[in-house]
Amino acid sequence: MIYNDKLGDFMDLNSLIKIIEKVGKIEIENIQITADELIINIPSAPPVVIPQTPLIKEKLAEEGIIEIKDVPELDWEPPIEKYTGYIREVQFGKPKSEGGRGKVVKIGGQKALYRFEEPQPNPPVVTFDIFDMPMPGLPKPIRQFFQDVMEDPCEWAKKCVKEFGADMITIHHISTDPKIKDKSPKEAAKLMEDLLQAVDVPFVIGGSGNPQKDPLVLEACAEVSEGDRCLLASANLELDYKKIVDAAMKYDHNVLAWSIMDPNMARDLNRKLIEAGLDPNRIVMDPTTCALGYGIEFSINAMVRLRLNGLKGDELVNMPMSSGTTNAIGAREAWMNNPEWGPREYRLPLWEITTGITMMMCGVDLFMMLNPISVKTLKEIGKALTTKPGEVKLNTNNYEWIVAKA
Amino acid sequence: MPKKISVMDIYKLLPKTNCKKCGQPSCMAFAAKLLEKEATVDQCPILNTPKFEENRKKLIELLSPPVKEVWFGNDKRKAVMGGDEVMYRYQLSFFNPTPIGVDISDELSEEEIKSRAKEIENFTFERTGEKLKLDFIVIRNASGDIEKFKKAIEIVEKETDMPICIASLNPEIIKEALKIVKSKVMVYAATKDNLNDMIKVIKELKKEKDVVLVLSSNNVKELKNMAAKCLANGIEDLVLEPYTYPENIAETLDLNVMIRRSAIEKEDKYLGFPILNLPINAYYYALNNDCPISTFFDNKEVVAKMYEATIAGTLLNRYADALIIHGLDIWELMPILTLRQNIYTDPRKPQAVEPGLYPIGNPDENSPVILTTNFSLTFYTVTGDFEKDNVTCWLLVMDTGGKAVDVSVAGGQYNGENAKKLIEETGIADKVNHRIIILPALAASTRGDIEDKTGWTCVVGTRDSSQVGEFLRKNWDRILREWKEKHQK
Repeated sequence: MIYNDKLGDFMDLNSLIKIIEKVGKIEIENIQITADELIINIPSAPPVVIPQTPLIKEKLAEEGIIEIKDVPELDWEPPIEKYTGYIREVQFGKPKSEGGRGKVVKIGGQKALYRFEEPQPNPPVVTFDIFDMPMPGLPKPIRQFFQDVMEDPCEWAKKCVKEFGADMITIHHISTDPKIKDKSPKEAAKLMEDLLQAVDVPFVIGGSGNPQKDPLVLEACAEVSEGDRCLLASANLELDYKKIVDAAMKYDHNVLAWSIMDPNMARDLNRKLIEAGLDPNRIVMDPTTCALGYGIEFSINAMVRLRLNGLKGDELVNMPMSSGTTNAIGAREAWMNNPEWGPREYRLPLWEITTGITMMMCGVDLFMMLNPISVKTLKEIGKALTTKPGEVKLNTNNYEWIVAKA
Repeated sequence: MPKKISVMDIYKLLPKTNCKKCGQPSCMAFAAKLLEKEATVDQCPILNTPKFEENRKKLIELLSPPVKEVWFGNDKRKAVMGGDEVMYRYQLSFFNPTPIGVDISDELSEEEIKSRAKEIENFTFERTGEKLKLDFIVIRNASGDIEKFKKAIEIVEKETDMPICIASLNPEIIKEALKIVKSKVMVYAATKDNLNDMIKVIKELKKEKDVVLVLSSNNVKELKNMAAKCLANGIEDLVLEPYTYPENIAETLDLNVMIRRSAIEKEDKYLGFPILNLPINAYYYALNNDCPISTFFDNKEVVAKMYEATIAGTLLNRYADALIIHGLDIWELMPILTLRQNIYTDPRKPQAVEPGLYPIGNPDENSPVILTTNFSLTFYTVTGDFEKDNVTCWLLVMDTGGKAVDVSVAGGQYNGENAKKLIEETGIADKVNHRIIILPALAASTRGDIEDKTGWTCVVGTRDSSQVGEFLRKNWDRILREWKEKHQK
């Protein structure tokens, strides 16, 4: 029996069910049930409808009212890191006031990894590869730009500077190779003098890759370009690096330290060069650039680790980095004539651009390149990295592509 | 840095029975594999029992990457994004190679939609034995018309198995499209302005679990708050799209890095979602504005595609977990797909094939012997070229630790000692009646060393393996004859 305090009487279950049938819902408060033996059996009762929230929601949904939960506003801070280290700044060329030829280019000098932390002070720099003899073996998409100047390295250099905006020129003294023309270091130095007269941008001075001859060629060229802060390319453990270090210190140049995709090897080489008397502020590291598709992931890992460790304060690897981006055009996907792959005049620059951009994202500061298209693209993207957030006006409507005409 | 969990943290939650059913010798070994992401929780049968329900949940939570793995698509093909644990690939590996989607406008004719969809689905570029493909189709509501949009979606779903992204900022249009779409789709996009309506549409249709929602804003804090709201409303598969700016890509790179660093290094779970970028913006930008490539080509479309590929490559290097592009030419896609393949290669695994002797064609005792390295790219390139050019030879594949010819020559693995070992182990001397090895031109400098150590005569061949066929046709008979005349007297 259940006491109904509105009625002031006891009710049995049957009358209770009757009420439920009428109103669909009852609330029972303070119930007292007294019974000797309580058997509740409600087989005949209609289902007790207890209103449930999902049903309400469904009903609301039918009417187009959906409840959207709000959340309190959350805060967010840009994830800016503190770096204990820095990247050294290396200077090429000297102003006229200091007895140089005028143009000065600086690389490195970063105090942070990303632009939003602190934009890098110097944009990435491109140095154009030229050769001391015609290179008929260069792929056509590159030859077409230089066909008319290949016979004369000075004209070649001028064209790179005047027409294609070269920041620097890399002269490869290929013909000094005993197996090619075996030109003497003296002859190389003569050409070097002419080149210094021809253009006013700083130089990277390269040999032929012959480990016996290169130190002699670099030494001779270093002497005639004394005080011009060139980059001697390159010192490695396969050759008499002491001679190159001596030439750099004696004639006021920088040295490219070339190692093979291994941060420890790069560090070891730097240590040896410094022990041999080289000022660490005159080192640029080349940890080897493998072309896109030909092991670039090894270069990525080596360069990222070097840059991170440099910024963490390792003073043996906090030098700016250089990339032989030209390696990209050696990739068959770049140079090979293959109709299935489409025109190579598009493929070749893209292969070099993609290789260079990847190296740029890993922190590379100096790019040795050949193709004017790739050079221009890389330089513009590099310039963006030195802009301050918000500095460049952005007009692109991010959603225009949705409605663009195909 | 990777999450600071240890093998012990994982081991504690395992059954510790060492039953070996997962394929590992012990629970401890399984724990180590789980930590390295080389095994999955599902491989342990005991964890799947009700008794271990709680441990299993804890384990999944413990092992879940700071960047959520999100997928869309159907039973046949899925586009999987995110799942990353580290900022730099050398720290572990990047997971789930960036899915690349190509757009289809709903203004195209039925035939055009069909053929473009097929072209996207069938696109293949083969490299190093791997077929590189495109991953999804973006159907964009260019018309503003719902019927055209639905029609385009129907055609693509009927004609292909491709995962689909539908693009419109209009929640009403998205609602009608979601009603007919059959697979789990990616919806582009919720913005600050339409977020509430997008959430409403998805909830109304009860598609919280069947939709990947792209949140779009150029403000990271706003993206975070949008994500929090979606999560509170049961929409958990999210993708963040922080605007792609072709006129200063550094802005987009910054946004990508800030999002990823917040997720991984600051453990901000609201930003722990894959990032979508839009190189397609660079395409349309270059079509109508000057870009660095403009002065070199008269054809605007070529310029646009080159610039699009440039921007795609840039973003792939900085945390793009999905990309939408427009161009379909192979020359544009080759560098993008190759870069993706390179970046997502697992650095923990050497890229090497088994060293040894590989007969190419049906070589006999008079066939040339060619020496290459076991870097997988070199191997596949060489064998691919030989096959194309019908080269018959004995290919000796030397263990250079998975390094390419030039790299291993410089690094000292391509040397006489290794060559000698290889010749002895393969017994090549019994298979040919000469002692001549052809070296790649890039290994010319090792000639003396190899001749000294092996006693075989070395001939310097070509720079590229594609030239070997011609080289052999022109020279092999003479080389063999001269060698025999000299050595068999």
